[in-house]
Parts: sequence; structure tokens; C-alpha cells
Amino acid sequence: MQEVTAQTSSAPQLQPKPEIYKSSSELKKRLWRNKWLYVMLTPGVLYFLIFKYLPMYGLIISFQDYKPYQGITGSDWVGMKHFSRLFTEPDFLNILVNTLVLFGLNILIYFPMPIILALMLNELQGTFFKRTFQTIFYLPHFLSLVIIVSISYVMVTMDGGIINELLVYFGFEPINFLLNPGWFRPMYIIQVIWREAGWGTIIYLASIAAIDPGLYEASRMDGAGRLRQVWHITLPAIRGVIITLFILKIGSVLDLGFEHVYLLLNSMNREVAEIIDTYVYTAGLRQGQFSYSTAIGFFKSIVGFVMVILVNKLSKKMGEEGVY
Amino acid sequence: MKKKSFTMLLTALLTFSTLLAGCGGNNNNQASSAGGESTTKPVETEKAKEEVKVEGPTEIKIMLPLNTSETPPDTIKNELEKLTNTKLTYQFFPADTYEEKLNSSFATGSLPQVTYLKNQTTFIQMKEAIKDGQFWEIGTLLSEFPNLSKLKPEILNNTKVDGKLYTLYIGRPLARQGIIYRKDWADKLGLAAPANVDELFEMAKAFTEQDPDGNGKKDTTGIIDRNELTYGAFKTVSSWFGTPNTWGEKDGKLAPEFTFDEYFDTMDFFKKARDGGYINQDFAATSKTDAVNMFKAGKGGLYIGGSMQDIDSLNKDTIKNNPAAVLDAHSMVASPDGKYAQWMIPGYNNVVLFPKSAVKDEAELKKILTFFDQMMTPEVANLMYWGIEGTHYTVEDGKAKATDDKELIEREVKGYKDSVIGEAETNGMYENYNTLPGRIHADQLVLENVKVGVADPTAAMDSSTYTEKGVELQQIITDATYKYIYGQIDKAGFEKEVENWKSRGGEKIIEEYNALYKK
Repeated sequence: MQEVTAQTSSAPQLQPKPEIYKSSSELKKRLWRNKWLYVMLTPGVLYFLIFKYLPMYGLIISFQDYKPYQGITGSDWVGMKHFSRLFTEPDFLNILVNTLVLFGLNILIYFPMPIILALMLNELQGTFFKRTFQTIFYLPHFLSLVIIVSISYVMVTMDGGIINELLVYFGFEPINFLLNPGWFRPMYIIQVIWREAGWGTIIYLASIAAIDPGLYEASRMDGAGRLRQVWHITLPAIRGVIITLFILKIGSVLDLGFEHVYLLLNSMNREVAEIIDTYVYTAGLRQGQFSYSTAIGFFKSIVGFVMVILVNKLSKKMGEEGVY
Repeated sequence: MKKKSFTMLLTALLTFSTLLAGCGGNNNNQASSAGGESTTKPVETEKAKEEVKVEGPTEIKIMLPLNTSETPPDTIKNELEKLTNTKLTYQFFPADTYEEKLNSSFATGSLPQVTYLKNQTTFIQMKEAIKDGQFWEIGTLLSEFPNLSKLKPEILNNTKVDGKLYTLYIGRPLARQGIIYRKDWADKLGLAAPANVDELFEMAKAFTEQDPDGNGKKDTTGIIDRNELTYGAFKTVSSWFGTPNTWGEKDGKLAPEFTFDEYFDTMDFFKKARDGGYINQDFAATSKTDAVNMFKAGKGGLYIGGSMQDIDSLNKDTIKNNPAAVLDAHSMVASPDGKYAQWMIPGYNNVVLFPKSAVKDEAELKKILTFFDQMMTPEVANLMYWGIEGTHYTVEDGKAKATDDKELIEREVKGYKDSVIGEAETNGMYENYNTLPGRIHADQLVLENVKVGVADPTAAMDSSTYTEKGVELQQIITDATYKYIYGQIDKAGFEKEVENWKSRGGEKIIEEYNALYKK
């Protein structure tokens, strides 16, 4: 991420990039000339140093039996004990699979939604309509998950939920949405889409707005219809943004948001709903197993890191820019 | 061209997100603690009066969790200092993040002289440090303090670590749980309060099938329950069936409750109730809020397992929805063979510790204990629990009636209320003045419950495997219990899960507890 910032700091400069600075005086001159850019860069760099790099020090405790009152310096080293506990956990495979399945749903079903929605919004005529619909789509994002899950509960419960009432009214059997393991994943992804799809359109709409209108005019002259324009102009123009966001999304492969799943989780659907995040909560934090929790978090980060590198390589192979 | 505008876009996005993160990062409104401490040393008057040694007020720093949104003003504190001849510094921290605060203060050696924990769980986590000698043992000193000696020995025993006492406890009634039910429905259907578990089942059935609200529709449910075995209906009913409290003796050895026949009887009770529709069908996925709302809306007639003292708040909203509703409390439900039993909590919900890093010597410790000894007098306990008489409460019939200005109490008293050690019986503070008949009944029942109370024999025991994995393993049993009730596994399936529990560490927990049990 920092690289991006660093890159942009020199973006507005219209000067060829020399391979090596011939002398230090020249380097100084350059630094001096761009001093304001560097000043502007500082807050960002500081932010990452303080909030992203320094806390990594805490990962040490995943190799220790950490005791808060002895601190990191005083706790005993235990090597890979906590990692082996995680990998030998009977449910580990199941939990990992659940996490990956939910992640897959996120990628395959949720990810395209904001793009489709943005394209649809873009086709709307008149700024008033566009604005209104955009605002309506943004709103759910500002509701907390607790509220969203509660609303869903009230709708789908078998104890007088409106959906089951309707099913019964039309002569169907009521469906046990909340406790049936088969319904957990659909409910989860529907809630994610409902909450986030509108918000996700922001960046796509911004990049669509940056497309040169001349291109559309030219294509209309050539007789391209609406869909043709979308296919040949809009989509290629935002392809870079899509890929970038996709890579970033992949980075959070195992980070599905603890809260959402935890709210939907119950004893009956645990076999499909227990994910790494919720497991950390029950096994680690509630029992004060700090080292174990940290080890699991560490494992998650490594998986995310590897995934980002892989996808980035892949996208470069496809001739797109990666995120770095 | 395209590339440039894109990088600009990304930069903008990044800057924006940084800003957002910045904004998000500082909403942990730490209660400022060091507000206006004047460290005035007691004025040295020794030259003037050498024969009379004037003791200055004892300076005490106290750290405790805060369950309200803002730090209370000094109204109560100033009175408290006058009464106890102390100079107090209260450091309130939000309860939500209190554990982190506790751990970080501990790690940096900056715990104050008096450290409140947050709950029983934090106490279990602290035990290791206590064994490590980080805190003062106070058990040997208690006898020197007349009021502290009144603290209940059975509860003190529950808070001992390796047989030694390091803590003072904040008391809670041992057994507040029972039934809150719609008496108006019962009267209408001609049912008395259930005397045993069979009658309880019949009541749930009648509340479901006989249209107790008289609207001509079958839209009521007998029992309203939620996704909690312990504080929901399950554990309380299991107690009435005669299941031991968490652990019980079987063939001279301790065994977990779910290996007892009575546990299965309880599961069958709920299974039958669910199959018949006498309990809300989705109870395994129902939150406390939703369950309580259903009851308040008049959708159900029996609320089991919660604190009976919640009847006030349940009543307030239920009669809003249905002015004719009458609620009552009930807890004496006999087992099939006619015995009464109520499971009990360890009798405390939080404890106070005295770190050696802050309390230098025994003399200082005794001074601090003197303050707590004074806290166990009616005058001081009332001040901290109820506030200032005439402002925060009035005395009616020898009981305290809190003012109707709930916000005032929330703001000025609540912070101190949660830190009073002991309970009304031992520290002599006023009982609550009640007017609602159901609440008065509930308070009587809370006292009755204790007479047939069943304690958890492992409450004061320490099993290292339990500390490490207990919560995680309990999940196996909880899931299996729900699955059995919902008919997804049978008795054999449940036994298999118990074996699973044993093989993953449960066997060790049994061994560790039994090793201590025989001592």
C-alpha cells in the first residue's frame, strides 16, 4: 500500500526517472524540489508505521506462553506449541473449510454485485434519479450488523416471522431458516449484499465518471447500442479498478467479519457457521488464551499475504497492473 | 492518461481511508482518571502538637470498571471521604474495554492499591498471577476487622485460591432464578402456580392451546426461551429435575452434570415441549432481547431462568401492551419424586485485589482494609449503593426508595453502586422498597431458594485444563444438548458427544477435579 503512495508522490512530476542518481547533490536537489510532496507523504507513512508496523511486535506472543503480568519480556518461549495446537484441533479442517466457503461466496456472488449495480446506476438518465437511488443504496451500510441480523430474525423466525406466515398462508410448510445449516450461507450472503452492495458502487461510479465522454460519442456514431457501449467502453475502462479491488479483497481472505457470523451462529448451524474468527473468540479470548488467539491471527495473516502475492503475480501475467 | 487518473483516484481513496481510520481510532473515550488530584500531603502539625499524633487521611487509589457512559461527579466521593477519613482517587474505566486496561496496567506494573476485576471470568484468568504471589493475601488479617469478618464464609471459600484468601467480594443473591409468568392467564384457565415439573409442562401446554389471551386465535406460546442453557430456562429446569449444579457426585466421584439421568430428563422435557409447540420453535437462535420482547408483547406466558427480580421491568412493558396483564414470580417446582432444589451461583459477581506492586507493606494494607471495613457499615454502604438520602433516595418503611430521576442515579451513583462489597445482610444497607406485589413475592422467593440451594462443588477448585479449554469443550455439550432437544441426535448420539468431550480434555478435567475433591 505504501508503495502506491510513494509512487503517486512523483506522479505529477514531468521528469524522466533516472536509473541512478549520479551524485548526492543531485539527489538533494530533487528532494528539495519535491519537499512539499514529501511533507504530504509523512502523515501516511507515520500512520502505517504506528498503526500497522509497530503492533506486529505483539506477534511475538504467539511463540510464548504469554502472561499479561510478566509482559512480553518475561513470558516463557514455547516455540510452535500454539500453532500445532491449532493444526491438530479436530475441528480445524472443518473451520477452515467453512471460512473458505464463505470467502468463496463473497468473491463469486457478492463481488460482482456493486459492479453490476454501478453499471445500472450509470445508465439512469438525469442526475436527480441517479442521486436519489445512490443514496437509497448507501443507507444499509450505515446500519449496524446487529440491527440487520435482528431485522432478519424478525422476518424469518418460525415464531410469527412474516416470511413463514406467508408460506403457511399459501399452503407451504414453514422453513426453519435460523436453525437449518443449509440456510446459513444463503442468509449470510444475502445480508452482506443487502448491506454492502450500494456502498461498494462508490469507487466504480467514480472511475466511470472519469471516462472520456468522447469515446461514447464516437461509439454512438458507429451505431453502438447501450449494451455495446457498456461492454466495449465502460467495462474495459474500469477493469483496472476492478482488478485492484479484487486483489485487496483477496487479501482479507480469512477476515470475514467476526460480528456478522457470530450473530448468526447457533448450536444448530455451527457445523457450517463456525469460522476462524468465531473460533478465536470462543477458544481464545473468552478463556484469556492470548497466545493461542494471536497464533491463529498470525496464521490468518500469512494466508492472506500469500494470496495477495499470488493474485498480484497472476494479474501482472494478465497484463494488468497489480497493487504494487 | 488512464493510469494517472487511476493512481490519483487510489491516492484519494487512501487518504480518505486514512482519515476515516484516524477518526475511528479515537472514539475509545477513556474516562479521564487523573482529573484534579491535588496531592496535598497531610499538613505537618507535629511541631505544634507533639503529644497528639494526628493521622492524616489515608490516600487510596482505586481502579474499577464503569457500566455507564460517563464518569460520575465527585458528589458521592466527597461524602465518602468525610465519612471514612480518606483521600480517594477513583479511576473509572469503561467496562467494555476493562480487561484490556487491566492487562496493560498489570504488564506495566501500574495497578493501583485497590484493583477491582470485572467478573468471575477475569478472576479465573487472574488466578495464575495470584498464585505467583503478585497480590497480598488478606485471609489472615480479616479477623482484625469487625465488619469484614461478617462477610459470608461460604462465599469467601468460593473465592479462595489454593486455600488462601486474597480478595473481597461484591455479593450477589445466590439463587435469583425462577419463573415469571402471566398470572392473569393462569387464573383465567383455572391453573395454580406449578407445584412440580409435570404441572409446569401442563401449564406450558395450556398456555399454548387454550387461548389464554382470549382473542380467538392460537397465537400464544407457553414458554419463551432463548439461546442460553445456563441463564435461559434449561439449567433452572434441570435443577428442578434434580440434576446437580454443573458437577455432582456419582459413585463417590465427581462427574459432570451431563452424565446424570436427570440431565436427560430435562432434555426430554424440552424436546416434548418443542415437539408440541409449547416453547418458541426458534429458541436456540433467539437472543435475550427478542425473547423478552415476545414475552412483553403477550406472545408467551412463562419466562423461566432469568432473575425473578426482573419482574419490575417486564411488568412495566407488558401492561403497556396489555393493561389487564398480571405478572407473578414462582420458583418452588418439585422434581418427579417430590424434592426441591435450586442451583446457586458462587454468590459474588466481582472481586477486589490488592497488588503488591502498589501496596508497599502490611501497615499500608491494613489502612486500606480499614476503608473497606468502614464500607461494610450501613452508613457508608448506603451512601455508595443508594446515594445521598433526600437526593437520590428516600427511606420508606425502613427500606430505600430510589428517586424517579433514573438519570441522576445513573450519573451520580451507579459507578459506586457496583463497587460495594458484601451484600445487604452483611453490610447492613437498606433493602429495596418495592410496591409491585410480584416483585415483593420474587424477593421472598430469592431468600427461599437458598434454603434448597445446590452449590457447584467445583466453584473453588482449580483445573488447569478447564482454564485452558473448558469454555471450548463446553460448547460441544451445549451443541449436543440443543441437537438432542431438536431431535437431530438420540441418546446414543449424545453419549458419543460426551465421549468426544472426554477425549478432547474432559477426562483430564474430571481427573483434576477429583484429585482436589478427595482432599
